[in-house]
Amino acid sequence: MKEDLLDIVCCPLDKHDLELDIDEEEDDDIVSGTLTCTECGEAYPIEDGIPNLLPPDMREAA
Amino acid sequence: MSDLADRRGVETEVYQPAEDSMLLADAAVAELAADARVLEVGTGSGVVAERVRDAGANVVASDVNPHACRQARERGVPAVRADLVAPFRDGVFDAVLFNPPYLPEDPAAERDDWMEVALTGGETGREVVEAFLDDVARVLAPDGYVLLLVSTLTGVEEVVAYAGDRGFSAVALRDESFPFETLTVLKLVR
Repeated sequence: MKEDLLDIVCCPLDKHDLELDIDEEEDDDIVSGTLTCTECGEAYPIEDGIPNLLPPDMREAA
Repeated sequence: MSDLADRRGVETEVYQPAEDSMLLADAAVAELAADARVLEVGTGSGVVAERVRDAGANVVASDVNPHACRQARERGVPAVRADLVAPFRDGVFDAVLFNPPYLPEDPAAERDDWMEVALTGGETGREVVEAFLDDVARVLAPDGYVLLLVSTLTGVEEVVAYAGDRGFSAVALRDESFPFETLTVLKLVR
């Protein structure tokens, strides 16, 4: 994902801002990392360039 | 028997482009302003999002299915794994596109895989569409609109009525008839 995706995504639970932590980046493309809600603290993984912003209760089942 | 199983085995993970995808893509390309910010919900193979991107829109694709997200990203479309529009900010999209799972559930043909998720909308065929309509207004910009693909198998009038209850008026942009259904692209505006 590109960092400017943060302009349009938010925490699926409370719609607050997400904070980006980058683990791996290639040519401005964030390959892995974490998005953390600045309000509730829920953490959402970025894997293979795709942020998983499913609410936690759907993340396990799918 | 094994033939059918084999054919089914060819693609059980991601819904691949069909007539409905093309109808939605054609309507979207005709309707969208250049450089519109667009979300495609339930992108599947990502082919609609890709066509919209190629037409000049700034598009993001979402899907609940991780395999679909991967296919969209391979087409160069930014992908987000999401439950409908839940992780998107208020008021950011000029248009939201959705070719939803719309077939009424057939217990005899239940499959319990990603293709089932891509195809069926619960008992009525409208469960996913209704959940989408409950929240989509939130993410639309003031003049934003929805392009929604519906089928006569889902009940077009019922979808229009449900959208109406949530403040949308509907215009049919184009339709196409097939032996067992007619597909319509609805434009929903507030």
